[in-house]
Amino acid sequence: MNLLLKSAKIIAPSNSQLHLKKRDILIRNGKIAQIAASIEADKSVKLIDFKNLHVSAGWFDSSVSFGEPGYEERETIDNGLRTAGKSGFTDVVLNPNTMPVPDSSSDIVFLRNQAKGRATALHPLGTLTVKGQGSDLAELFDMRNSGAVGFYDYKQAISNSNLLKIALLYARNFDGLVHSFPRDNQIAGNGIANEGKIATSLGLKGVPALAEALQVARDLYILEYTGGKLHIPTLSTPQAVQLVQEAKKKGLDVSCSVPIHNLLFTDEKLLEFDSEYKTNPPLRTASDARSLVKAVEKGIIDLVTTDHSPLNIEEKRVEFEQAGYGTIGLETAFGSLQRLFSLETTIELLTRGRDRYGIDKVEISEGEEAKLTLFDPDREFTFSEEQILSASKNSMFLGEKMKGYVYGVIANGKTELKKKKDGR
Amino acid sequence: MAELSVKHLLGIKYLNEADIDLIFETADHFKEVINRSIKKVPSLRDITIANIFFENSTRTKLSFELAEKRLSADVINFSAGQSSVKKGETLIDTVNNILSMKVDMVVMRHPNPGAGIFLSKHVNASIVNAGDGAHEHPTQALLDSYSIREKLGDVAGKKVVIVGDILHSRVALSNIFALKLQGAEVKVCGPHTLIPKYIETLGVTVENDLRKALNWCDVANMLRIQNERMEISYFPTTREYTQQYGLNKKILDSLDKEIVVMHPGPINRGVEITSDVADSKQSIILNQVENGVAIRMAVIYLLASKIK
Repeated sequence: MNLLLKSAKIIAPSNSQLHLKKRDILIRNGKIAQIAASIEADKSVKLIDFKNLHVSAGWFDSSVSFGEPGYEERETIDNGLRTAGKSGFTDVVLNPNTMPVPDSSSDIVFLRNQAKGRATALHPLGTLTVKGQGSDLAELFDMRNSGAVGFYDYKQAISNSNLLKIALLYARNFDGLVHSFPRDNQIAGNGIANEGKIATSLGLKGVPALAEALQVARDLYILEYTGGKLHIPTLSTPQAVQLVQEAKKKGLDVSCSVPIHNLLFTDEKLLEFDSEYKTNPPLRTASDARSLVKAVEKGIIDLVTTDHSPLNIEEKRVEFEQAGYGTIGLETAFGSLQRLFSLETTIELLTRGRDRYGIDKVEISEGEEAKLTLFDPDREFTFSEEQILSASKNSMFLGEKMKGYVYGVIANGKTELKKKKDGR
Repeated sequence: MAELSVKHLLGIKYLNEADIDLIFETADHFKEVINRSIKKVPSLRDITIANIFFENSTRTKLSFELAEKRLSADVINFSAGQSSVKKGETLIDTVNNILSMKVDMVVMRHPNPGAGIFLSKHVNASIVNAGDGAHEHPTQALLDSYSIREKLGDVAGKKVVIVGDILHSRVALSNIFALKLQGAEVKVCGPHTLIPKYIETLGVTVENDLRKALNWCDVANMLRIQNERMEISYFPTTREYTQQYGLNKKILDSLDKEIVVMHPGPINRGVEITSDVADSKQSIILNQVENGVAIRMAVIYLLASKIK
């Protein structure tokens, strides 16, 4: 594959030589062969000269769910990775919420095999416990050796404190990254919405911020005792963020993420009982969202994630209480983040985090593997159903204004670019 | 002719003051009708109404059915535990199946908050919410306000305390919305465990001492303790609850003024209120029941006139 990107403006905040420069980029055999002000191409090279073309290192998302195996009606690995690629992502960490869950080396191998041949690379998580049931540790070491980049009982709080202690201690042997979902189940009870004015007026059972903070506080106490690497995915409250900040000051090896929809939307969206806005953790208040955005800007929150969760319509088109949790988010990540942050910050957020998962870093320079995202940061549009690339259409971003359009990616010696039918 | 601002009655929070006035005026008329020797009017002979109850109910269902029959509507009843829905059929399918039999209006009780709102967006019929989880029970709040108006002349400016399990109560929520909309002052009273943490954001005040609350109010609405909605124990024993929040004759007689006592039923006699209070002249519990039919006739009549 030989490609020539014509007059692409490079966004690479960490590379002062190339940042904001307009360059031609020649890619031969999957590698960046040349970066120059103007490159003449021979006939064997395919030209890419999209309008207002910008290019950055390929994007990374730390929390993505598909459905294969078991929930292929939600999303397959193949279409999921195509969707990720056309949305700008060259590396995604896959949540272990399939059926059966990946709790052994062979499960991890299966997921990686299914993902072969796509531009976007899939990095699976294994479950922390056997069958994700929260009682006995799964074969973490073996899964790590097969390519699992971390361990997570997907969105199941670790109720047994001793289990978390043992998991963190055990995973230290091989630098394993343990995930702990931030929710105290007893305090959260059957809550399905943020405890506050909105849930009170709607008669919905509330999940207090306390449920999140309490679990995070416990996790951090345990981490201080055990050492090891802890990741707290999908935080939603400033109270919990503050705890993480204090723990980092103490020198604990903890990281955390926040879903993009928790930065952008608030529980006011629930007023019509629209199940598209039902997520776990729930959408919080406007003041919470503002605090989270600040914490992202200050770097207290390490990662932003789409927390991409495809669900088929049967799981959403039911009463709010019975609906499934989550929204798809890959397609809308860039256009949403640019509503909150500058282009440079957005790109910085979308390219950070690989090191936490032991995934090779990506750089734009001659001789490096070409792992690039192509986009137009200035195009504004309203997100509509025909722009959904996922198999499932459960998006809370429908009808939302987007700033920034993604053309796709070049990675793994392949291209994954939007075509006419993708609403380009 | 005046008409409602809404196509469905999904909750008090979707109504305006004029809607409530119109419902009350219409109910005045129907209350006169149901006290005649011939208690029936031919208004809705061309309307078919389905009462769909996914949760147990005796009095609300009876009251709706009676209201519908007194308006000469054709009535069908469908009761299902939530379990039968869990067998696979979705709410939308269940209701659309019933609507295919040419039904114009659906009165629904459902254990999930917002079920009526959800349904109204997906099916083509007028929906009356007869209670959706801990969200709203609009006809109950309407009949409560109507009963206060009947007893005290007006709702505006009155002080109403709602006592008991506010946390699990759609009656409390709808009453708060209705009373506030009409200009009453509202207080809620109960143990901290049964008062939502953010209830004051709805414009009410909280009092944990029953005697203080009663001394403040003109009207006390004593809610039933809904043990069936509690997944854990919010107070140690019913006995201890009654010690703190039960209304008995002794307390009632010791107050500075004669307050009005209400209860949405069914009463746990000796728990929220003692028998001598329930049967006292200060109690308007049975008036509430009678007014319930008139209010439901008014709501159905007004919504049906929008179908035509």
